Amino acid sequence: MIITNTETIAGYHVTEIRGLVQGNTVRAKHAGRDIAASFKNLVGGELKGYTELLTESRRQAVERMMAQAEQLGANAILNVRFTTSAVTAGAAELYAYGTAVVVQPA
Amino acid sequence: MADLLPLLVPLMLIAVGFVCGRLAERKHLARLCQREADNREFLITQLKSFPARTVGSEPPQIVLAETVVSSDYFKTSVAKLRGLFGGEVRSFQSLLDRARRETTQRLVEQAQHLGYNAICNLRLERADVGGSTADKKAAAMVAILGSATAYHYDQGSS
Repeated sequence: MIITNTETIAGYHVTEIRGLVQGNTVRAKHAGRDIAASFKNLVGGELKGYTELLTESRRQAVERMMAQAEQLGANAILNVRFTTSAVTAGAAELYAYGTAVVVQPA
Repeated sequence: MADLLPLLVPLMLIAVGFVCGRLAERKHLARLCQREADNREFLITQLKSFPARTVGSEPPQIVLAETVVSSDYFKTSVAKLRGLFGGEVRSFQSLLDRARRETTQRLVEQAQHLGYNAICNLRLERADVGGSTADKKAAAMVAILGSATAYHYDQGSS
């Protein structure tokens, strides 16, 4: 499956539009990561635990979105966007959405 | 001595934050400069189209990267002080800058790893990770989500 965040794909024609597909996930970091992060807040630097959390969440949201697109019989998702929201302290929602389409090489 | 202790602890934390934070920031900036110089040939645009595209072996593909950079105690204290007088909060500005540059470099490296030589439609946005914005008491951290579309381009035609 081709996934892009552009409205078109160079070299491909959109032949059919299958509609909006989306995937979301709410993930929390475990207490150990929170404690490590609070130490890092003293000395500065990258919070690797949170970076990892975001990477995992993104992958999961994209996978769910892809599953939906497959169900609709699409072979590409265009104009993919991501948003996040803090549900409570310690948990973040990651939401991915895009348009499922059928494309053919031009 | 015992009376001084409550005053001494924050001062020590500020000193530790200043030294460690400075070191971490300097190292990070040096690494970023190095990587940016290494990847100078790589075409980065935030155009929605595919400038100077050529037909590669693979179709265009999305690349994603994220970075979370933490503030240090010194920066947080300085920013709080700024809040009293108002004005530019330079300590957090560098934090945001570092997170964005790091995310961009990660996108570039990922695209290169996948065999592409350009990215377009670069998007950087600040993520809302619970804790940083939900709880004002928590020290600042900056989470940047980046996405872009990797493709092949020809350096000759533009």
